[in-house]
Amino acid sequence: MPTVRLRDASEYPESARRLFELSRQWFDYDFKEPPAMSRVMAWDPHFGGPHGRAMKRAMAPGEFSRGEKEMVAAAVSGANACTY
Amino acid sequence: MTGDDRWYEAAFVVGITNALNVVADGLAGAAMRPVEPTTAPPEVRETFTAIRAFYGRGDQPPGGGEIPSPFAIIAHDPAYLADVWAAVKRAFTERRLTRRHKTALAFAVSLTTRSAFGTAFHLGELRRLGVGEPGVMEIIGVTQMFSSYTKIADTLQLHSDMADIAPVDRSGVPDSGTG
Repeated sequence: MPTVRLRDASEYPESARRLFELSRQWFDYDFKEPPAMSRVMAWDPHFGGPHGRAMKRAMAPGEFSRGEKEMVAAAVSGANACTY
Repeated sequence: MTGDDRWYEAAFVVGITNALNVVADGLAGAAMRPVEPTTAPPEVRETFTAIRAFYGRGDQPPGGGEIPSPFAIIAHDPAYLADVWAAVKRAFTERRLTRRHKTALAFAVSLTTRSAFGTAFHLGELRRLGVGEPGVMEIIGVTQMFSSYTKIADTLQLHSDMADIAPVDRSGVPDSGTG
């Protein structure tokens, strides 16, 4: 059970919902509701916005591909014992 | 990154990396001396030679050259060293994942677990394998950002809601032989 009640996308102000469209584009997947982490980040766009940009910059293809980096991210999540 | 074989390879790299780090970092301040290459028994020297070659240190004179500490420490049991080394070599050998990608995984996991040995060792390996500073920064960035996401998710006790979007690999278990 999450510590907070995750709001549906419709409960967010229009300005925050812009992040959900960016999330859909990033994952290239039509979620029924935006992923939980996207909804958490949209709670405070002044935090979620720059945090998301930093993530996208780190994950962008460079010397390593996006796919390789997704696997690194999964390994880091595993090392942090995070199931999310 | 579809195909379960890639994920098995990644998991084995992460696991054996952690195993090496546990010994290297955990015993760093302990009174346990590593086996010196110059005085090691022949079977250990043979394994040390293979280790040097794998890490690009094969040009060093026989019996000479530094052996990464976790190997030098467990060399007190030559048969155990040989098996651990075989597992490490298998895990890091390029197959579906490249050697540099596997090393990036090892670096990221070492950084995440604050392993002084693993972070320094795999950073050196990344550079030896031709990864530049921008590439190293990419892995640091991914490691840092997902160390943030994971703690936010844990603090809020979020349930995973993205695991099911990946395609399922229905293929069987590959026959890699018994060797």
